[in-house]
Amino acid sequence: MPDPVSISCEGLTYSYPGGTEPALSSVSFEVRTGEYVGVVGPNGGGKSTLLRLLNGLLAADSGTVRIAGHDPATEPFEVRRRVGMLFQNPENGLVAPFVEDDVAFGLENLGVPREEMRVRVREAIRSVGLVGYERREPHTLSGGEKQRVALAGLLALEPEILLLDEPTSMLDAAGRREVLDRTQGLRGGKTILHVTHHLEELLDADRVLVMNGGGLVADVPPGDLVSDPDLLEKNHLALPPLLRLAAGLGLEAARPRTPEDLARAIREKARGRAGTR
Amino acid sequence: MRLELRNIRHVYSPGTPFEVEALRGVSLSVEPGEVLGILGGTGSGKSTLVQHMNLLLEPASGDVLVDGVDAATLKRSELRRRIGLVFQFPEAALFAPTVAEDVAFAPRRLGLNEGEIEDRVRESLVLAGADHLKDRSPFALSGGEQRRVAIAGVLAMGPEMLVLDEPTSGLDPASRQGLLRLIQTLQDTGTSVVLVSHNTDEIAEVADRICILEGGEVRAIGSPAEVFYTHPEFAPATVLTVTALDEIGWDIGQPVRFGETLRALGDLVEG
Repeated sequence: MPDPVSISCEGLTYSYPGGTEPALSSVSFEVRTGEYVGVVGPNGGGKSTLLRLLNGLLAADSGTVRIAGHDPATEPFEVRRRVGMLFQNPENGLVAPFVEDDVAFGLENLGVPREEMRVRVREAIRSVGLVGYERREPHTLSGGEKQRVALAGLLALEPEILLLDEPTSMLDAAGRREVLDRTQGLRGGKTILHVTHHLEELLDADRVLVMNGGGLVADVPPGDLVSDPDLLEKNHLALPPLLRLAAGLGLEAARPRTPEDLARAIREKARGRAGTR
Repeated sequence: MRLELRNIRHVYSPGTPFEVEALRGVSLSVEPGEVLGILGGTGSGKSTLVQHMNLLLEPASGDVLVDGVDAATLKRSELRRRIGLVFQFPEAALFAPTVAEDVAFAPRRLGLNEGEIEDRVRESLVLAGADHLKDRSPFALSGGEQRRVAIAGVLAMGPEMLVLDEPTSGLDPASRQGLLRLIQTLQDTGTSVVLVSHNTDEIAEVADRICILEGGEVRAIGSPAEVFYTHPEFAPATVLTVTALDEIGWDIGQPVRFGETLRALGDLVEG
């Protein structure tokens, strides 16, 4: 039975050495097991600092962090085996000559027996849709494929919690969709905290945390965030172009996910107008 | 300045088992004062291409012409002063104790006197929207601020053309908007800009012409409307919405930029 609360932060405060303002001040929130939670906010708002405190790369000045009940500062191994982090740059994590070796890298470091390692690597590669890529060389892959290899490497370690740090920001449109399809596919099975500048990636999230000036300024469902121009503006957030077009046409309520959705909403409204005259 | 690339080929690791032909005969021009947007997926050759624009990379074959003069005959330092190249994540190269000193580095190497250097530093910081940061340590800045300082460092050389490789990658929307405004300001001062990005919505807002690269070749080049309405897989949300409307029988022309698209759609909705 997993802990019902995956991530718990209470009064979390951190200043970088030499920094005049705290990078994070008095941040408190909980993420329940299996939730998909987005994190947004301006550059310098505290998002990256938060992730580093959660996986123990930084230690808080004050306040507490608990990952499934464990403190990253005093129980780093308990935390690290539960938490996997996917970074911006898909090049950074790739180390081995072949895809399957790369996915196996973390397991080898843990000394997992050969047979179990083979099973877990195969399953991880399958779960990111890269069956047939086992003997490919990572440098020959597209950005989206590389990022999926990095994700498979994390999944092979069977983490309970995934921290996604702008995993699509360096990818083209096709790569972005590939990676999002896979992370969305992990919903429910993993607790996911997803940092991004692209609100369209979070429209299906359970909640979105808005960080600004080192503080947590809002914790809201994505629908509330995209329909609150003040909250968006104050936190340097921008609606995705499709939602901005919809808003400009007074069609926010249609909540279009695709250009086709918006086109249909426009047609309905234009017809409605024509019908009333 | 007018820059012309003629039939540029580039091969990485030639003669080894890792040989890759990254550019397969690319020809294009950057016209004086224009913003040329270059779109393409990962591995399309975008970054390799822009490094040929000031001969940071030498082509295996083909010519680079600056105002009609073969760039290979120009002094490299002169070429790199006139064509400023801002790499992906340029903030990685920040090094000085203060922002002002960092930006002063390049003009100092050009041999300008202290007064001229000071002027250059101030002007470029103002242009890049980073004037208020001049006494800060570059390492204590946010990602968006660092990016602006790094761009100011290139502007301080007084380039006639600025080449930006994924300048908005990793920036928040407000910083991205700031950068797009900077590009428009540069254009107003007569500087040509080459903007490389995978963010098609952004490129659509500022580019005068669009070039799509694929597999090291030019797949399309032309006005934003020509290119986007014939290559929907690279098109921004505005064009895709108009296309979807066209498919259900509502033709409103071929707007590209957000403002003009909103007006055209608004006319339709309001009747």
